[in-house]
Amino acid sequence: MSLLAGQILNGIATGMLYALMGLGLSLITGILNIPNFAHGALFAVGAYLLVTAVNVFGNFWIGLVVAPVGVALLGLAIEYAGIRRLYAAGHDYQLLFTFGLSLILAEAIILVWGPVGISHLPPEILRGGVDLGFTFYPKYRLFVTGVAGLLVFLTWLFLEKTRYGAIMRAGIENKEMVSLLGIDVHRLFTAAFALGAYLAGIAGALTAPIRGLSPGMGVDMLGIAFVVVALGGLGNLLGAIAAGLLIGVAQAVVAAYWTEASTVVIYAVMAAVLLVRPQGLFGIR
Amino acid sequence: MSKLKRRDILKIGALAATGLGFPAILRAQSKEIVILGLWDQTGAFSDIGPLNDRGMRMALEERDMKVLGRPIRYVTRDGATQAGASTRRAEEAVDGEGARFIIGPWSSGVALAVSEVAKRKKVVHLFSGGTEDISGARCHRYSFQWAASPYTAAKTVVDNFMKANPKAKRWHLLVADYAFGWSVEKYVKEVGKAHGIEFVGADRHPLGEREFSNYVQKAAANKPDVVAMVNFGGDAVAGAREIFNFGLTPRLPLIMSWSSGVEELVQLAPEIRDNLWVGTNFYYTADTPVAKSFVKSYQAKFKLPPGYAPSAAYSMTRMLLAGFDKAKSDDVQAVVKALEGLEMNDIVGPMRVDGATHQTLRPYFLLRCKPKAAMKHELDFADVVATGDAPLPKEYAACKDIGSF
Repeated sequence: MSLLAGQILNGIATGMLYALMGLGLSLITGILNIPNFAHGALFAVGAYLLVTAVNVFGNFWIGLVVAPVGVALLGLAIEYAGIRRLYAAGHDYQLLFTFGLSLILAEAIILVWGPVGISHLPPEILRGGVDLGFTFYPKYRLFVTGVAGLLVFLTWLFLEKTRYGAIMRAGIENKEMVSLLGIDVHRLFTAAFALGAYLAGIAGALTAPIRGLSPGMGVDMLGIAFVVVALGGLGNLLGAIAAGLLIGVAQAVVAAYWTEASTVVIYAVMAAVLLVRPQGLFGIR
Repeated sequence: MSKLKRRDILKIGALAATGLGFPAILRAQSKEIVILGLWDQTGAFSDIGPLNDRGMRMALEERDMKVLGRPIRYVTRDGATQAGASTRRAEEAVDGEGARFIIGPWSSGVALAVSEVAKRKKVVHLFSGGTEDISGARCHRYSFQWAASPYTAAKTVVDNFMKANPKAKRWHLLVADYAFGWSVEKYVKEVGKAHGIEFVGADRHPLGEREFSNYVQKAAANKPDVVAMVNFGGDAVAGAREIFNFGLTPRLPLIMSWSSGVEELVQLAPEIRDNLWVGTNFYYTADTPVAKSFVKSYQAKFKLPPGYAPSAAYSMTRMLLAGFDKAKSDDVQAVVKALEGLEMNDIVGPMRVDGATHQTLRPYFLLRCKPKAAMKHELDFADVVATGDAPLPKEYAACKDIGSF
């Protein structure tokens, strides 16, 4: 029983990171109407920037603040200099652009940081674990769960309760209408892309001490992020959160009893949900 | 308007074949000896292919790209870590370039497919990896295995680890769920019986797993004395990291049974390497003359010392060249016969190719990583605790008859 409780806790911890990734991807996909294949690469850049920032500033906390901001700026530049120019060219070109970009970013990581993987330890204060009674759990994972949960909540709060968030949601629903109301949709697109990139970047930075860093680290995450978006419903933010948690917990619980299936279960859950609800858990289209 | 007919096109095709393809092969047969290095530049082992290439190149350059007084032409192809691409490109190099000697690729599963090509095309094939099938159930006259048998590896690791930790009887295994993992797991359990080891858990994970927390938590719940992993590369690195994060190491010893050595250890922080025991086919402090000179020139070129990947490619190439020398010929059958029973003192020490199975009988290494404070420099990862070369006992041997040419 304590094993199951431990695995569920672990599933929630991993699921929060999945939700963070899925939320960013859902936002970008919902508003810009393109699947962002570079989302995994942005995740990887976030992790590598954290390591560099920690080395430069000698402080994990500064690194954790700086790295995702760096990724958000990169996202801003990508949207402004690349994707924006391709709105007129059509869907396929944007899709190809983000795909090409993901390859370029992965190669750039090799050029800057080298092809060999790196370990990055959590800050001193968060090393080791705590005995929760039913399981021994690493402090850093508890911290990540808390921070990821908080970020997910703040993002939801921003989108649900602020005026600009309402505009973004409206952008997902109906871009033409938003545009007719005199709102600069291009600026909206840029903001959405930067916010999505920020979420991918901070997910990467938080993950670095857990999974370590390697140039291909984004690829694994990208697949999961797409599953989260498909499962949660396109552009549905609450759905992305629920889907992230669902996948994380399913993966952990299955691993407790049948380890060989712990990767397959991600896709099995997706297939099962889509069979019953093709629009995703909370999706309407 | 041109009136090109089907017959004309066939003629042109035939002309092109004789004009371009055939003389290249004839030329190759008369003068140069063409050796193919099938190394992955893309796919799951894309990071390893360039390292293999380095090792092979160094072995050829040592001999000034010559053997039997004739020039060697080294051709490489990207195996893409896929059976389809690897077999296609190997066949193309055999047919188009006249290559009759293949070394590689790196992945066990893919190499088994390439081994079939070697058998069909009747060309020599050298490979190093964790499947026992190349010198076992699927053995034939043309393929040779450089890496230690999974049995030799398991025996070296388990026996010597237990000698140092006689009380550590409760083992939890984490095994990569494919051919290599199953082979090594089987023998770890077999050898463990003699020590009275109780396997409190044995979980298999998919190749390429990056989320190890679930497995580690389950391992911790079993309250083992030791966690032993049978996985490789990125999987082993990710596993070791999580086992540390969950506070199992350094409290408990962790064993990586079949590691690439340097290439994996360098990815782990010194704290994570504390109380880590590593089984490997090669470690750079190996006390042999060949290893010393190879490590020195490799490090002068590439800074990092060589791990298993470049060393295996280096030593396999030297083995093949020794086969040419012994055969005094580049005839495929003569080289195969020369390799069978070949003895040489190479990077890992004394090696002998078993003629009956094509398995190289050779030492395997068990390392113990050093705590941070004991490291003399940042590449001083570990001490060699022991080496072992116990061959696979007859009752396990699956290669009953290696067959004819």
